[in-house]
Amino acid sequence: MAEVTFTLPDLGEGLVEASVLEWLVAPGDTVERNAPLVELETAKSAVEIPSPHAGTVARVHAEEGAVVAVGAPLVTFEVADAPGIVGTVPRAEKPTRRVRLTPPKE
Amino acid sequence: MDVLPGEVPIAYTEVPGRGVPVLLLHGFGSGYDANWVRAGWPHALDGLAHIGVDLRGHGGSGRPRDAGAYRPAAMAGDLERLLDALGVQRCDVLAYSMGSRIAWEFALTRPDRVRRAVLGGFGPVDAFAGTDLDRLDAPDGGPFTEVFRAAAAQPGADPAALAACARGQAAHPFTADPAPAGVPLLFVAGEHDTLASGVEDVARAVGAAPAVRVPRRDHRTAVSARAFKTAAVGFLTRGVRPLSGV
Repeated sequence: MAEVTFTLPDLGEGLVEASVLEWLVAPGDTVERNAPLVELETAKSAVEIPSPHAGTVARVHAEEGAVVAVGAPLVTFEVADAPGIVGTVPRAEKPTRRVRLTPPKE
Repeated sequence: MDVLPGEVPIAYTEVPGRGVPVLLLHGFGSGYDANWVRAGWPHALDGLAHIGVDLRGHGGSGRPRDAGAYRPAAMAGDLERLLDALGVQRCDVLAYSMGSRIAWEFALTRPDRVRRAVLGGFGPVDAFAGTDLDRLDAPDGGPFTEVFRAAAAQPGADPAALAACARGQAAHPFTADPAPAGVPLLFVAGEHDTLASGVEDVARAVGAAPAVRVPRRDHRTAVSARAFKTAAVGFLTRGVRPLSGV
């Protein structure tokens, strides 16, 4: 097993922080990828963050009501050892960006 | 999102799934994505077919600048046009705030098109009371100016269209009588949602189940709440036998 910490992602629209409305998981819970993880309140709206990992919740880093900055730790998971470099997660964003750099010809 | 062409084009997203499709109607100054997708509703709907809409004046839909274009009747007309185009005879509706006002209008005037409706963040209070809708930019314009300023500051928002929308809505205040005939309604609101003050009275008056209040939430934060999702999905799937294998 390996530990992976999920930090508050960029929520867009220039938002730099969010507060925790409610945790939808607790330490010890097994979560699937994309299962609801936590509800956050931003300056503009309420959002639900899905889990980026499948694994077990080891600990949460912010209590309900706490303000979390973008990039700060939100939750740590215990995940099965993945092949490759522990702690890095393949993300779908990179290929998307690459596509944007070379837009298709109209 | 796809766009239904027309005098006022309507942006929508159709998500296939089981059951009667659920039409999702967002609040003032929001949109399908901000109100529903980011709040985790596609996951909560758990495989139910649904159709997300950007109401006129919002998101990817057309943005008329005259208040008359935002009469509840005109906005409900968009929904009928969309259902016709998608070949949907009857839908469920899940709505929030101003979307609930439109949902009520739609269910009232086209009860044959709505099977059940969940009206969130909604009550009989006039959200525009005490606000000078011709001076929405003024700091002392009234309580609604704060809602308006936040909405107008969203990326891609059209302040002139939103102001027209507010005036068009305000010109047709909600009344609980007459109520939609034969359409079961569920009212849900945050415990501290003052815009939904008196929703309990409306629920009682129309013979609906007691309004569900979401503990510790207000008008903004009830949108993503687990208790809202559980109540809404339970109401929409009540008595419906799950398909085998689901």
